[in-house]
Amino acid sequence: MAALGRARSAVNQVILGKAEVVDLAFSALLAGGHLLLEDLPGVGKTTLAQAMSLSLGGDWQRIQFTNDMLPADIVGVSIFQQAQEQFEFRPGPIFANVVLADEINRATPRTQSALLEAMAERQVTVDGQTFPLPEPFFVIATQNPLDLVGTYPLPDSQLDRFLLRTSIGYPSATEERRLLVEPDRRDLLSRFEPSLDPGGVSDLMALATDLPVSEPLLDYIQNLIAATRQHGGLKAGLSPRAGLALVRAARAWSLVNGLNYCAPEAVKAVFPSLATHRLETRPESGLDSAAVVEEILGTTRVP
Amino acid sequence: MTTALERWFRPRLPGPGELTPAAVYWTLAAFLVAAFPHLMAMPPALAATVVALIGWRGMAVWRGWRPVPGPVRVVLTLTLLALVVIAFGASWGRRLATALLCVMLAAKLMEMFRVRDLRMVASVCFFLVATQFLFNERLVYLSYLVAGCWLATQALGQIQRIQVNQRRGQDRQASPGASGTSGLLSVQSLRQSGRLLVMALPVALILFFLFPRLAQPLWGLPEEAMDGRTGLSDSMSPGSISELFLDHSPAFRVEFEGPPPPPQMRYWRGPVLWRFDGNTWQRAFFSDQRLSEPPLETEASIRYRMQLEPHERRWLLAMDHPVSSTFPESRITVDHHLISRRPVTTLSQYDVVSTPDALISPVLTDVQRNMALHLPQERNPRTRALAEELRQQYADDQALINAVLRWFNEEPFYYSLSVTPLGRHGADEFLFDLRTGYCEYYASAFAILMRSAGIPARVVTGYQGGFWSESGQYLLVRQSDAHAWNEVWLEGQGWVRVDPTAAVAPDRIREGSRSVVESGRALRDAGWLMNLRNQYDRVQHLWNRWVLGFDAERQQDFLQRLGLPEMTATQIGLLMLAALSLFLLPLTWFLFRVSGQRPLSRAERAWKTVRRRLARLGLHAQPSETPREFAGRICRELDSGERQLVQLAIMFSQLHYGVPSARLLEQFERSAQLFRPLRRGKNRFPRLSFGREL
Repeated sequence: MAALGRARSAVNQVILGKAEVVDLAFSALLAGGHLLLEDLPGVGKTTLAQAMSLSLGGDWQRIQFTNDMLPADIVGVSIFQQAQEQFEFRPGPIFANVVLADEINRATPRTQSALLEAMAERQVTVDGQTFPLPEPFFVIATQNPLDLVGTYPLPDSQLDRFLLRTSIGYPSATEERRLLVEPDRRDLLSRFEPSLDPGGVSDLMALATDLPVSEPLLDYIQNLIAATRQHGGLKAGLSPRAGLALVRAARAWSLVNGLNYCAPEAVKAVFPSLATHRLETRPESGLDSAAVVEEILGTTRVP
Repeated sequence: MTTALERWFRPRLPGPGELTPAAVYWTLAAFLVAAFPHLMAMPPALAATVVALIGWRGMAVWRGWRPVPGPVRVVLTLTLLALVVIAFGASWGRRLATALLCVMLAAKLMEMFRVRDLRMVASVCFFLVATQFLFNERLVYLSYLVAGCWLATQALGQIQRIQVNQRRGQDRQASPGASGTSGLLSVQSLRQSGRLLVMALPVALILFFLFPRLAQPLWGLPEEAMDGRTGLSDSMSPGSISELFLDHSPAFRVEFEGPPPPPQMRYWRGPVLWRFDGNTWQRAFFSDQRLSEPPLETEASIRYRMQLEPHERRWLLAMDHPVSSTFPESRITVDHHLISRRPVTTLSQYDVVSTPDALISPVLTDVQRNMALHLPQERNPRTRALAEELRQQYADDQALINAVLRWFNEEPFYYSLSVTPLGRHGADEFLFDLRTGYCEYYASAFAILMRSAGIPARVVTGYQGGFWSESGQYLLVRQSDAHAWNEVWLEGQGWVRVDPTAAVAPDRIREGSRSVVESGRALRDAGWLMNLRNQYDRVQHLWNRWVLGFDAERQQDFLQRLGLPEMTATQIGLLMLAALSLFLLPLTWFLFRVSGQRPLSRAERAWKTVRRRLARLGLHAQPSETPREFAGRICRELDSGERQLVQLAIMFSQLHYGVPSARLLEQFERSAQLFRPLRRGKNRFPRLSFGREL
């Protein structure tokens, strides 16, 4: 627990003034999910991913997606070793504890789906051979929402693979001034000491799974999900899988925030990042899903 | 076949957690309280059986005894039924019915296994406690009724709790509060039952005001010979009235039109006794005959309204001499006695006109004269001798009577409430040896003396005097005001009232029975007690008048005062249904809304207190706010208590959403009770700001 607190504050030292985003990133990690950062270039996506992976103490890989990338470039290839007269698997960059998948929407759907499959299954199958991915396995993907030329936006059904989707956004004036004055973030990262290790992260994940969820809180979660299904501006409500994901994420968030129970604040904190990319609004309603989610949070009673 | 029989007789053991001890105990308590007044009136053996069954059921729960096997239950129940029939014999009436209800309900205790049985017993308790109104409509009993209903409601609440807990069985293991004997003596649940009763109050009021009253009751109460209630009887023997002297319960109340008559005129006529067998005075065979020509109403007539307590007898009391009354199906008999066709079993109000100075029975028939002169043979020789002696001295009847009264006054005759049994020559013993007694002795001896002297005489029983309540403007006549006096028939004057007791103890007549009782030292120090009784009777009088006396006529008055036209019973009934639904529909809607919600936990109740205190300062929680968000938003508005508020929110969050801990809960409840926030900028005494508006 203490190590988790240290890791969190260490990441916050690098990503200034974005405590909520850091909390969400750790929540996604501890809930066993993956994080999608949708943001403009240069706001610190890569820095966040790097800081996260460094604080975990595991190995990390960065994959810069391009449109000429093939699945093998991610998962790895089998190469015929003439000396041994057999195929040998060369693991791709996905074999790491933390994978930063940069500009995921630049890759072709074929390549994207290779990544997404690996994320869901936590294993890779090449030439009929299955290779498990390391534990913990955490993908931080980024995509640029504005630069649409030559991109392949992730289909909605695939967005479901990410537990949370969020954006970092511009820093505030004070934080921006600190950024300008202080030494380069990359220097800070180079001096980063890991606070956790992969085994510790697994323990924390188990701890999060066991966090008690009370009846009133389950009522609240059910009410929220029911509200998405009844809302007129949405094409469809949240699925039961999303409900499960909400409980998992809320538990992880509570743990990240040092609580020994699952609090309604946790639900409120993760709900927008969890629901927005899973919900699609009716075009005629003139709303976007973020506004609808805000509205639902503002009107659903907390029992 | 055998299996069916076995199934029939085999007691169904209560399943795990089916009946909680608390529910059973409360139901037993409700039953005991509801049955108590009936038990007191029951034959002791029956009452003891009922109490024993209640005790057995309580012990069975406490000690976990096995239920009684089916065949034993059947035999016991039949035995009980037989006991009731034997105890009451042929007198089928209210007492038998209520006793039967009590006993059968007690038998039901033996096979009370399921929630349904328990609920049935608790529900019948409501009815059982109300049946006491068939016997007693006193105001005190109202509070008893409320207490009984409260207990029965409490029992129903406990029974409901069983089902609630069953429905969420997993909670029972989780929370210790739901199991076992908890709630046995919880003030909280008692308060909740009380709240339910208060919620039912509007319904009770609507039913009271709008239930259609019928001029003639649809059903009559079954007649019953005697209910152990004290009151005048239709015969008189030494000692029969003396019981009444100690009974200060009201017999009737009178409101006069105009000023009340003076005390010496307040003779309330009851049964007139003609036949004397040497010991007991009884009514004549013609006593019930209708008087063909009642006295006329004159200027001296007195009009008044009687409020007669039920006494299970047919006579209606009236002042000498009744002319007419509004009591339904009543008549004035040849004895000038007002009687009804049915026994008076409920509090009755009726108007009477009486003419005090009416000439009654100017002509005496031979039959009447014979009966009024009849004496048993070979009794009271000394009295006969005295009568003959007096007859020789005074030829005139009136002079003879005056001489006897003078004799009573001058000789050492005393008035006393002590009862002395008299022998074969009762009048002799009394007039020459004992010379101490009360009205009954004097009236009896006087009548014997008169008859011996050849003057037709009879005994009149009834009440004399009464307490005039100046503040209430009504006359209260108690059982202790019972009295007996004489009437003698004089040529040309008809029956004339003579009260020998007045000659002995004039105070008894002037000031009522109280003067005698007090001079008997028994109640000398209890003047304040009497005063208290009189004050209480005023309240009782109002209760009788406005609640029990709220009849069809009053109901119409009430509705007209509300601006409604005169209505038939059906229309009033429809109005009642409309009023009930007007009240019940919103209530149902409210309960329906509430019913879907969980009952509040202890932590939630304490948190509610906190929120209520903040709401008083105008700080309200948004429904979509979590406790901590609320505290975070509100604490900036507070002048004091902000730190506590945040603490409380954290504690509540922990208790409500996290793992409950008893210690934290106690701490939280304590802090919530102590929480007294003050709002920033809104002091208790607002600063005066003159000139701002100028």
